[in-house]
This record gives sequence, structure tokens and C-alpha cells, in this order.
Amino acid sequence: MSAYETQGFKLDDSGKRVVVDPVCRIEGHLRVEVNLDKDNVIRNAVSTGTMWRGLEVILKGRDPRDAWAFTERICGVCTGTHALTSVRAVEDALAIQIPENAHLIRNIMQLNLYVHDHLVHFYHLHALDWVDVVSALKADPKKTSELAQSISSWPLSSPGYFRDIQNRLKKFVESGQLGPFMNGYWGSPAYKLPPEANLMAVTHYLEALDFQKEIVKVHTIFGGKNPHPNWLVGGVPCAINLEGTGAVGAVNMERLNLVKHVIDQAAEFVEKVYLPDLLAIASFYKGWLYGGGLSSQAMLSYGDIPDKANDYSAGNLLLPRGAIINGKLDEIHPVDLKDPEQVQEFVTHSWYKYPDESKGLHPFEGITEPHFVLGKNTKGSKTRIEALDESGKYSWLKAPRWRGHAMEVGCLPRMVMAYLQPQRYPMVKDTIDMALKQLDIPLTALFSTLGRTAARGIETLYCAKLQQEMFARLMANLKAGDLNTANISKWEPSTWPKEAKGVGFTEAPRGALGHWIKIKDGKIDNYQCVVPTTWNGSPRDPQGQIGAFEASLLGTPLAKADEPLEILRTLHSFDPCLACSTHVMSPEGQEMSSVKVR
Amino acid sequence: MTETFYDVLRRQGITRRSFLKFCSLTATSLGLGSAAAPRIAHALETKPRTPVLWLHGLECTCCSESFIRSAHPLTKDVVLSMLSLDYDDTLMAAAGHQAEAILEEVKKKYKGQYIVAVEGNPPLNEDGMFCIQGGRPFVEKLKETCADAKAIISWGSCASYGCVQAAKPNPTRATPVHKVITGKPIINVPGCPPIAEVMTGVVTYMLTFDRIPELDRQGRPKMFYGQRIHDKCYRRGHFDAGQFAEAWDDEGARKGYCLYKMGCKGPTTYNACSSMRWNGGVSWPVQSGHGCIGCSEDGFWDKGSFYDRVTQIKQFGVESNADQIGGTVAAVTGAAIAAHAAVTALARARNKNATNGE
Amino acid sequence: MLSQQDMLEAERHGKQVRSIYVYEAPVRLWHWVNALAMVVLAVTGYLIGLPPASVPGEAAEHFLLGYIRFAHFTAGYVFAIGLLARVYWALVGNHHARQIFMLPITNKAWWSEVLFELRWYLFLEKHPKKYVGHNPMAQLMMFFFFTVLAFGMVITGFALYSEGAGLGTWSDRLFGWVLPALGGSMQTHSWHRLGMWIMMSFVLVHVYAAIREDIMSRQSLISTMVSGWRMFKD
Repeated sequence: MSAYETQGFKLDDSGKRVVVDPVCRIEGHLRVEVNLDKDNVIRNAVSTGTMWRGLEVILKGRDPRDAWAFTERICGVCTGTHALTSVRAVEDALAIQIPENAHLIRNIMQLNLYVHDHLVHFYHLHALDWVDVVSALKADPKKTSELAQSISSWPLSSPGYFRDIQNRLKKFVESGQLGPFMNGYWGSPAYKLPPEANLMAVTHYLEALDFQKEIVKVHTIFGGKNPHPNWLVGGVPCAINLEGTGAVGAVNMERLNLVKHVIDQAAEFVEKVYLPDLLAIASFYKGWLYGGGLSSQAMLSYGDIPDKANDYSAGNLLLPRGAIINGKLDEIHPVDLKDPEQVQEFVTHSWYKYPDESKGLHPFEGITEPHFVLGKNTKGSKTRIEALDESGKYSWLKAPRWRGHAMEVGCLPRMVMAYLQPQRYPMVKDTIDMALKQLDIPLTALFSTLGRTAARGIETLYCAKLQQEMFARLMANLKAGDLNTANISKWEPSTWPKEAKGVGFTEAPRGALGHWIKIKDGKIDNYQCVVPTTWNGSPRDPQGQIGAFEASLLGTPLAKADEPLEILRTLHSFDPCLACSTHVMSPEGQEMSSVKVR
Repeated sequence: MTETFYDVLRRQGITRRSFLKFCSLTATSLGLGSAAAPRIAHALETKPRTPVLWLHGLECTCCSESFIRSAHPLTKDVVLSMLSLDYDDTLMAAAGHQAEAILEEVKKKYKGQYIVAVEGNPPLNEDGMFCIQGGRPFVEKLKETCADAKAIISWGSCASYGCVQAAKPNPTRATPVHKVITGKPIINVPGCPPIAEVMTGVVTYMLTFDRIPELDRQGRPKMFYGQRIHDKCYRRGHFDAGQFAEAWDDEGARKGYCLYKMGCKGPTTYNACSSMRWNGGVSWPVQSGHGCIGCSEDGFWDKGSFYDRVTQIKQFGVESNADQIGGTVAAVTGAAIAAHAAVTALARARNKNATNGE
Repeated sequence: MLSQQDMLEAERHGKQVRSIYVYEAPVRLWHWVNALAMVVLAVTGYLIGLPPASVPGEAAEHFLLGYIRFAHFTAGYVFAIGLLARVYWALVGNHHARQIFMLPITNKAWWSEVLFELRWYLFLEKHPKKYVGHNPMAQLMMFFFFTVLAFGMVITGFALYSEGAGLGTWSDRLFGWVLPALGGSMQTHSWHRLGMWIMMSFVLVHVYAAIREDIMSRQSLISTMVSGWRMFKD
């Protein structure tokens, strides 16, 4: 294969092959190979998930009430979202209703994750794709201060403050030990910010590093720790005791005050630091609108943050649910995770085996059997891969499809779908309109690397506000006298039906996340996860359709062929999470011995 | 000139007097006595930064996430002033060839002087290709990088014990670091993840005193893993009194009673949670109402449900706990005795009859 | 050790003498103290794993589990020290005192006696034999289900005790290695608890067999452990 067309993209692998492995500043392990034409424009892209942990086999036969802890360990970055998905799946299977307080606390925890995860992503995983650290040394602290004060009322903005940071940075660079900034692409023409903006951004990189650890304290109070807080099937584990004996050992006024303090601080930081920084940086890159990929034509969201407790229908979700295909923004299709025709996974180009690989399988029937073989045109050997052969199997990710379409998932689909329903999500529409107006770009500019990054910032603000609202509702409910946090009527397995199956879903910060569980005789009989990065990082399917990562790289010119800065920029805009890209269970009746264990 | 820890403190407006006070407090809290304070001060004032190469195998990045939550010292200060984090896939600016070149450079330039921090573990099945980095198995990268290291830190339960991917049947054969690397000092810092300040505490201890902390039988620093959660639990009084939460959200749970009956693994878990607590001392699992799940213990995934008090004995193949097996043994024994006694009585009666009949 | 000569002696005594001194005072004392310790250990151990229902009121007013654990540890010390004393007596006492510590596994006749006793308990033999000490079958049971198991319980018990006592204490230095060797603290707890169940099953068998033999084999058993004298009834 040298050239073909799919989904409106032209693929051509005749040019120079460039390999980026590892792709750093992501969660997990990812490899990307691209072909460049003579103008250093990407004409072919191959995205490879390079890890598999086999959790699928591990969960079988375990107690469903424990599953949240196992699946939570799928990812420590979007920590908690797998656990929440898991308890929802079990509750769906067993028809367990959770109390109002548990519902609100879970929403607060999930929204809290969004705020933390998006903030850390923007500053610590993504910023260095836009911000030149070394250039910040040349900045005039006074002008930096003026810039900062012109865009925000954040108090840490004096010339002296920026000078201190700059001096520290200078000393650091002069030491010759550059640490995590070593071998960066400093000075590349792909960086567009003036030194003052760079200094401001680097300063906030450090400030955000200090601040992010505060945000997660909400998880610590309700879940005991972060990363990996504790959850509970049937509610939340933290009991509430406002005034009785032993109140100091439970969630009490002091705890709630701390939650409120953190939530308010987080909202302020997002409003006064994150969003202004985002818009300031974007204003210098609005001419660089590559990286849209599939977003303008195929987007998927499962939705999240139920408004009323125990209602997971699309109409009740404060983050929208739906699918857009063929670029038709005026039609949002309903999504049904139990419909065997909708979500299906293919393995033609993945290191797994199906009896018939031309067909996809719904997660309830999914098979996860590792099968590591390389395509016949692979360069190198099994344990020394120089270049992969994308006509064969080439990734540890499966290829999920929605009604046969490769989809993009994540903050951009969520924000676009919210924008398209202004009567239900007015705040999202207003914020996006404000950003577009300030940057003076059209709505279609959102379908880009920059648009994805901007959508994430806008979503952070939305979630930070929603978190405050949920907290207010929690207080109102407590005031009304309801202290319940757990429904234990179906805690004992003896109260369960002999067989049950259910689906749990959330929107992880990175996108649509679903868990499918089958329970038999009180034990897990089948558990399958389809996770955001499996959607976005998907390899090709039997029709040769490419995934979101691959599509987003096509047509992007590189400033320098040997510096993958633009590739990183676009990939990071998805916030990849590769440890997530593991499937969690093999199907009913499958021979476990067929999993290769040597 | 490299900025030292002392410089950082001075810059933040801390006087020399307070700095020395900090050093003597540190010395006391580490149980070193006041004589060590000048040495700490000297080390913090003059030491250049030790290169740290942070590798990632099969993991979930929770250790990195925990590390950046450190409140004292701040992660910012650790990275900018205390050590030189030259390689870390999760945070570094470079990628691909530029990233891999750093490993080579540090290995050559700082032979025998750098620290390798490992997050996650190498899988050994499929020739190691369940975790591919730079087109090669991670286990090779791990071995090569560790070859010239001064010491190795195994972050978290993955690197120390195997953790979730090594839970049975461990399909990828995920293997703890100390079973792959030999001949080097290895410090196990288990937990899923470890507490942030435990992580920075271990690193700064090594940098400050230029030695590895005292370790227990399982290679864990005694200072943080020498006691059980239970030994320092603030709910211990309720345990001793015999006061327990019997169900979720019951009166006992709301009163902060002991979570022993809810399956809390505090009595069998060595970690610092109950004294140091999490996220800057805000709370920790038991304080927030859920029992400890034992995440810093070897193989904690395979010891039965997190909600069982008496847990599985895996050698019995089928999932059985001591009470199930033992209870069955006792019941069967009892039944056998009853049957035996009945037969005995019957035989004796028949014998007597036979004798009488004679 | 139960020698062939010993058995002949028993037969002869059985016919000619009405009684014989078997269990010396220290053995008898140990037996009953040990029995008491085991009852305390089993009951408190069971409750440590699965505690009784919560007590009402303030924590400071109660120390229920504390007392239960205290009783367990105290009884544990009694059991362990008793075991050591019993080992000492095996060295200096009469040859019956050594019976439960070693099996004459190279002795063919002993094995045939074991077989005989097995047949007796399975109702395949009509008339029982008499023994001065333990019968060979009992000896075998005693060795594995008491002696070996008792050492196992002491070792795992003190390993668990060392967790509370702390690193560097005598129990940690002597037995701390057990925890990682068995796969951690939780696993050690599980094995220790399983050991309790097996020990209790053995106690059932032991008590039953003693009563039954007392009646059936026309020789004293229970009173022997009180007086030390084995009485032969015919």
C-alpha cells in the first residue's frame, strides 16, 4: 500500500519515515510514526499503543464490590473516574439506587477531577508545546507584569515577582543541569510567543504545580487519599455527622468548610490564571489551526454528571451525551451503550485475536486474547522495531467504532455538543462565544489542536462552577436533614440475582469511558472497558479507516523534520492516557488458557 | 553555580537562623539527634544536584501524580533545586530520540553517581513486548539504565511487588524490579501510590545524608514502613474498646468507630498513612470512612475481598478463607466422631448381646 | 519412644500387674495447663478475628478487645513456655515423655501397630491392645496434629505478636522473617487461624478417643492423666 483515501483524508507513505518513541508528557506509552513529503508535511500517520497490562484476565471471578479498586488502577492520572464508572456498572447490574448525598458527593469528586486533571494537563503536560522556557530568560519582568495585569486581576503579578522567578530560572539554566527541560526544542521557529508571554506562562507552570495539590484535597476528604481515593458500591464510604457524638471522625462542618475553600480557590485559579493564560497563548497561535482530524466530522460523548440522582438518561446529564457523524452538526444522534450495533471493537490491526477479524464485537461479547505479530514489512526484529508495518497488526489498542465510524472523544466533542444545545448548556455557549470573539476566530476554528486545548479550558471553568453548584446543593440537602450516604440493602451478595449484567459510563477528562459487567453467582463473570484513548488512539479498522490521533496529524507541516514539536503539540491536545488503553475482561466461556502465559 | 536547597530557602525569605532551626528539627524528627544538624545544614548548602532518571514500565502513573502532590518539600523545589530530574517520560519536554539521548548522556557523564527511580514494572512474557519503548522491550531499557546507577528506588507497589497487573494470573508476567536487577542497592517504597511526602522524604534523605535509609526485611525504609497503620490509627481506641462500624453509614460509622469489621486491612499493612496522612495531612482512608485496602502490602490484590475480615488462603486453589476451611474441618471431624461413637456403641451393644447369649 | 520391649512389657503388666506409673507429675501438670491455655487461645483468637458486637458508650469506658487480646497473648506465652518446658522434660523425663516428640519411623513393627490401631478404629479388629503410653496411632496423630502444629502456632503467633511489639524486639528478631515468608501479615493471620481450627479438630478427636478407649480398651486413660498411673482393668 502506498496511497489511499479514507474519511476524506489522503494517506501516502512514500515519503521519509519519522519515528517518535516514546511520546513523552502523556500517561503511559505511545509511539507514533509519520511519513513526511518533501515539504516536511505529514502525509501518513501511524499511532501505536505500546503497552498492555492484561487486567481483563485478572478481574474474572472477583467480588464485583472490589472491581472499582482494580479498575481505578487502570489510570492514576484520571484517578477515580474508572472507579466511578465501575460502581455505576455494578449498581446498574444490581439495580441499586444511591442516596442524594452520595450522588452529590460523587459529582463533586468527578468535577474536581476534571478541574485538577485539565489544569495539570494544560500546564505540565501540554504547555511546553507552546511555551519556550529558555526564551523566558530574555523577558523584561516589567513588561511581563504589564501583560499579566492587562489580562487578569490575579494578584501575583508584580514586576518583582516575575523577576524573582526569572532569576531562579536563570540560575537553573546556568547550572547546566536542565532536568526535565533537557533536550527540549527551545528556540524552534514553531514557538510563537514573545519572551514576556513565555515568562508569564513558565511562572504559572510553577504556580500551578504548587496549586494543583490543593485541588485534590476534596478527594482526600471524601475518599481518604489522592491519587486513588476510595469508593463504594451503593453510595460513598464517608459518613456524615454534623453535630452528634463522634462528629470529628466523620464529614462535619470543618471538613465541609475545607471542601468549600478548595472548590472556591480552584474556581478562582481557573478564572484568573488558567483561562487568561490560555487565551493569551492562543492569540499568538490562532494562525496555526492544524490538527482537527476527525473532530469536524465524527464526535462521540457518553455524557456525565447526572443532575438528579440515579437517572442516567441523556436528558439528565450536565455534560452532554450524543454522537455526531458525517460532519452534520445539526443532528446529535442518541447513544445506547447496550445496543450491540452501536459500540463495536475491531482487532484487524491490533495485537489481539478474534475468530473472525473482519467483524467487530460489542463489549458484552468482547474477546481479549493477546496475539503479538508484526506485519511482514516491519523494519527491524521482534524486539528491535525500527519501523512498523501498518498494513499488519501494529498496536496494543483495539479499534472501537460507533456504528462503524471512527470517532473522536474528549473535551472538544463535549463542548461542541453543549454549544449546539444552548438552551440546556447556556454557560458553555456564552464562554465559547466570548473566547471566539476575543480571539476573533470562527466556530470552525475549534476543530483544531488549538480548539481542543481551548475547549479543555472552557470545560474546566464550566466544571469548576458546576462543582460550586453541586456543593451548594449538598449543603441544602444536609440542611433539609438528610445525612444518608450509603444504600446497603443490596450490599450482601446473597441479595443479588443469580445472574446480572450492567453498563456504567462516565466522561473521563479524556473522553467517553464505559465499563460493561456481567455478574454470575456473586462473582464477576465478564468485565470489559472501552476507554477514551482507545477511541482516539485507535489503529486502523478492516476498512482502513484511521483513528483520531492519526487523522489529526495529517497535513501538518513540521518546522524541522527532526524535531517532532508539532506532532507532540497535536497529540498532547488529546491528553492521551495509554495505560487506560487496556481491556479489562474476556468474555463468558472463553478459555483462559488461550492467553499466552509462558 | 547550581542553586542549592539553602539558596531556595534564603530566596524565599527564610533567615539563616530559621534555616538552622529547620535542620535541627529535621535531625530530631529523623531520630538522628542534634549532632547531625550541622551536617544537614552543610549538605543542603553545598551539594550539587544528583541526576535522577525516572523510568516508567507497566503502571498507571499514580506514583508520579502522588510525587507532584508533595507539600514539603514542594515538588517545584525538589525538581528545580534538590535533584536533577533529567529523564521522566511524564514531565520531560523532549520526546523520541532527543529523550532517549539523555539516558545515554547521563549514564556516561555521571557513571555510578545517578539514581534510577522506577515507576511500574517490566513484563517478561512475549519477550517483554507487552511494554515497548523505543521499539524495544522495557526490561532492556531498565537493565541498561540501572547498570551504572548508584542506587535504585522502586516507586510504588508496581515496582516493589508487582501490583495490579501482577495479580493472578499475571498474564504479562509483570515482575518487580528487584527480581530483574541484582547487585545494586534497591529501596522499595510501596503503596498504590506511596504518600507524596514519603516519596520526597526518601529522596531528600538520600541526597542529604548521601546514604540509603535503613531498610527492613522487605527493602522498605524503616522510618516510614516500620509500623502498621493499625499501630498509629486514631480509631485504635475504639478497636481496643470493642466498638466497630457494623455496616456502611450506620451509627458506628458516623461516630468514627473502628472499621475492622468492614474489612479494614490496617492491622496487616505497613505504611505511614495513619500518622502522616495524605495530601498535606488533610485526611487518610480510615479517617474518610473506608477501611484500608492494604495497598502497600505484597500481593494485596489476591488476599480476598477488601471487605472481608478473614481472607483467602490462595494455596487452596479455590477461594477459601481460614474460617471456611477450618470450620469445615471441625464440622467434618465432629460428624465423624459422632458417627464413630454411634457405631462403637452399636458394636458394643451387639458384643454384649452376643456375650449374654452365650 | 514406644519400643517393642515396651509393648511386651505392657502386655505382661496387663496380665500380671494392675497398674503402672506412666505420666510423671510435670507432664500431667503441663497437660492440663496446656489444655486450659488452648481453650483460652481458641476462644480469644476466634473473637480477635471476628469480634463480638459493639459495646455502647464511650471508648474510654471499655477495653473489651484489649482484654481479649491480652488474654490471648498471655495464654500464648503460657502455651509457648509450656511447650518449651515440655521439650525440656522430654529430655530429662521418662521415656514416655519423649513419645510425642519423635516417631520410630524406621521401626517396622511400630508401623504394623499403627495399622492395627487403624483397623481397630475402623471396627476391623475385635479386641483392642493395651499400651503403657500412647498407642502408636495416637502417637502419630499427636506428633503431627499437636507437636508440629503447636510449634507452627507458636512461630506464626509470635510473628504476629512482633507486629505490635515492633521492629527490633525479640519476637521480631526471632520470628519477624515469618511474615514475608508466608506472603505477608494478612496471609500469616489466615494460616494462624486455620491452624486454630485444625488444632480444635484434633482436640475433639483426642477427647473422644480418650473417653472411648477408657471404656473400650479396658485400661485407664483420663484418670491416668490425673494420677499418672495407668490402670488395667483385666
